[in-house]
Amino acid sequence: MTDQIVVDVARIAKRFSGHVAVEELSLQVHRGAVYGLLGPNGAGKTTTIRMVMNITMPDEGSIRLFGDSRGGRHHSARIGYLPEERGLYKRMRVRDMLVFLAEAKGVPRARAAEKAGEWLDRLGLGEWSMRRVEELSKGMSQKVQFIGCMLHEPELLILDEPFSGLDPINQQVLKDTIVQLSRGGTTIIFSTHQMDVAEKICDHVCIIARGRKVLDGALAEVKRVHGGTHVAVAFEDSADGASAMREIDDLVEVADDSGVFAELKLRDGADPQLVLERLLRQGVRLRRFERIEPSLHRIFLDKAGTEAAAERREVGRV
Amino acid sequence: MYKVWAVIRREFVERVRSKWFLISTILGPLFMIALGVLPSLLATRTGRINQIVLVDAGATGLAERVQAQLGRSGRFQATILAADPDRDSAVADSLTRAIQAEAIDGFLALSAVTVEAGAAEYRGRNVSSLRDMSVLESAVRQSVVVERLNRHGIDPAIVQEAQSRIDLRTLRVTKRGTTGESGEATFILGYAVGLVLYMVILLYGINVMRSVLEEKQTRIIEVLVSSLRPFQLMMGKVIGVGSVGLFQFSIWTFVGWGMVRYRRQILGWFDVPAEAMNAVRMPNISSELMTMVIVYFLLGYLLYAALFAVVGASVNTDTEAQQAQQPVMMLLVAALIVSFGALGDPGGQLAVTASLIPLSSPVIMPVRVATSDVPTSQVLLSLAILAGTVVLVVWGSARVYRIGILMYGKRPSMKEMWRWARQS
Repeated sequence: MTDQIVVDVARIAKRFSGHVAVEELSLQVHRGAVYGLLGPNGAGKTTTIRMVMNITMPDEGSIRLFGDSRGGRHHSARIGYLPEERGLYKRMRVRDMLVFLAEAKGVPRARAAEKAGEWLDRLGLGEWSMRRVEELSKGMSQKVQFIGCMLHEPELLILDEPFSGLDPINQQVLKDTIVQLSRGGTTIIFSTHQMDVAEKICDHVCIIARGRKVLDGALAEVKRVHGGTHVAVAFEDSADGASAMREIDDLVEVADDSGVFAELKLRDGADPQLVLERLLRQGVRLRRFERIEPSLHRIFLDKAGTEAAAERREVGRV
Repeated sequence: MYKVWAVIRREFVERVRSKWFLISTILGPLFMIALGVLPSLLATRTGRINQIVLVDAGATGLAERVQAQLGRSGRFQATILAADPDRDSAVADSLTRAIQAEAIDGFLALSAVTVEAGAAEYRGRNVSSLRDMSVLESAVRQSVVVERLNRHGIDPAIVQEAQSRIDLRTLRVTKRGTTGESGEATFILGYAVGLVLYMVILLYGINVMRSVLEEKQTRIIEVLVSSLRPFQLMMGKVIGVGSVGLFQFSIWTFVGWGMVRYRRQILGWFDVPAEAMNAVRMPNISSELMTMVIVYFLLGYLLYAALFAVVGASVNTDTEAQQAQQPVMMLLVAALIVSFGALGDPGGQLAVTASLIPLSSPVIMPVRVATSDVPTSQVLLSLAILAGTVVLVVWGSARVYRIGILMYGKRPSMKEMWRWARQS
């Protein structure tokens, strides 16, 4: 039963007074997948997750979890949820806080205490377990909350922006933990707009913009379908980069120019070989020249960016 | 049920561990000790003895009588100064200077007119002490009466007899007989019962509100409602906070019982002589009254806690909460004010009506029970109405709470909350 569908969202819509938050959104998450829900700010990611969690109800459409439409709270013990708005009881001790969160999911007290201790040690918070939550730094309390949502060993983990606000070290710790849980069979859905992380850990991505799905599929498939010829170039210094970009301008359709690094989408029919030749002839010193698959970042900009641009045009017309 | 239990335990343990609980638990009995000891202390502590001068300007024999009377009161020591009636203003001036120089506390001018027309004059530094002035006045009055009777040739023995003190003892009679409680003690008991119920219901009600608001402000509510039904959460909270109230109540009751039991020793610490103990009779707290207080506390608390939970769920900040809690608090304050009225007339129409109305009955019915005999039928009716209202209010509140806790931004109007309560 590896292909079982854990989350099945069918044509849901949610409107708040005056504006549409989510419309005609359908998505399916298979057991064991790491599913990335990507989208710019205000795209409807959090609204979608809150509907899946049964915190708010969709105006239209249906949501089935584990093949059952009784809603997130009914399956509460099988689901772990990290909301976008983080919050803990400030005055409680860290360990008591975690035990309480696990108990609210039905985990017996002794077992909850034991697991909480294990996880705190594992994420390097062991010596903080008897401190009060208010004494923790932002990153630490975020880790505590992450521990809180998985102490009951859920089959499905829903993380809303888990990486935001974490420093690179903690991002790494969190990423490792997610990979580990995934290997252990946990299905993971997470929202983010950090494409580099998503690219590394997702099996499947879904990009939404302005409440609608613009792209959905297995990561490899998405990249293959996106098409075009893509090249990554790294320069010795930014002056080199500037002159290089002028030189090859006519061969490039879209350039994501970051100074000493650029990701280029070439015009139809343009040969990467020709690009390299021109650069060498110009005497540009290169650190890297590679023909690549489009990055998720590029795909995201193309897809979500077009949507945003369309919106701007519409606004302009009105 | 396990989940509700977890919420109850969290609310209870976190609260009992807090400084706030420790302080209020200690201050409560201190307050009670003060109530128990202070009256005895004040009753026995005699103040400084006032040194005064009696100016005898031809008030034949009256000055001696007043001097003797004042001496018996133990609050004044008087010296007689005979003065020429024609020079009394000069005497008054020099004595006034003596008062200013703090050589004496005051002087009382007595003259022939005092006996005939009943006019006397006292000048002193401290004329605002009601107790001292009443001692002084009664000494003068009694002496004048005796002097007048003497002048009419009445036998001094008869005068003596007519002057014997009259003591009015007030005792409360209930169905079980005379209680031995004085009217004063009954009043104090009723007053205390009303005040304690008002304070405890308000205190713990506001605690529920703060707790709801905290969950909303820290946004932990989102994690909680994905694990628990809002009703479970609200009931867990209300029961948890309520148990803290009951727990504190039991500590206080136990301490109170101990204080009455070991009153002699406690008074001893404050150097109050044991006889003084009987000066103020402790009201008798029957187990019937105790049960009433606890039952009405629980129901009243449930009623108000549900309302306060709605207040907490409908606001976003502490400032908003301060405002939004006003209407609910006013209901309780009104109940307290009516209870003061009920103390004077526990069987009156106002008291009876207010003890049946569910929003005021938790305060007023126990006050009535403490101060009078309330027909059992009235108690049962009041309890039935209150319990019914509690069920309705808790049900309605849970529905508003369910939506309110996830709403941020503008405060909902009463109309909107009413709509939330009705929608499924």
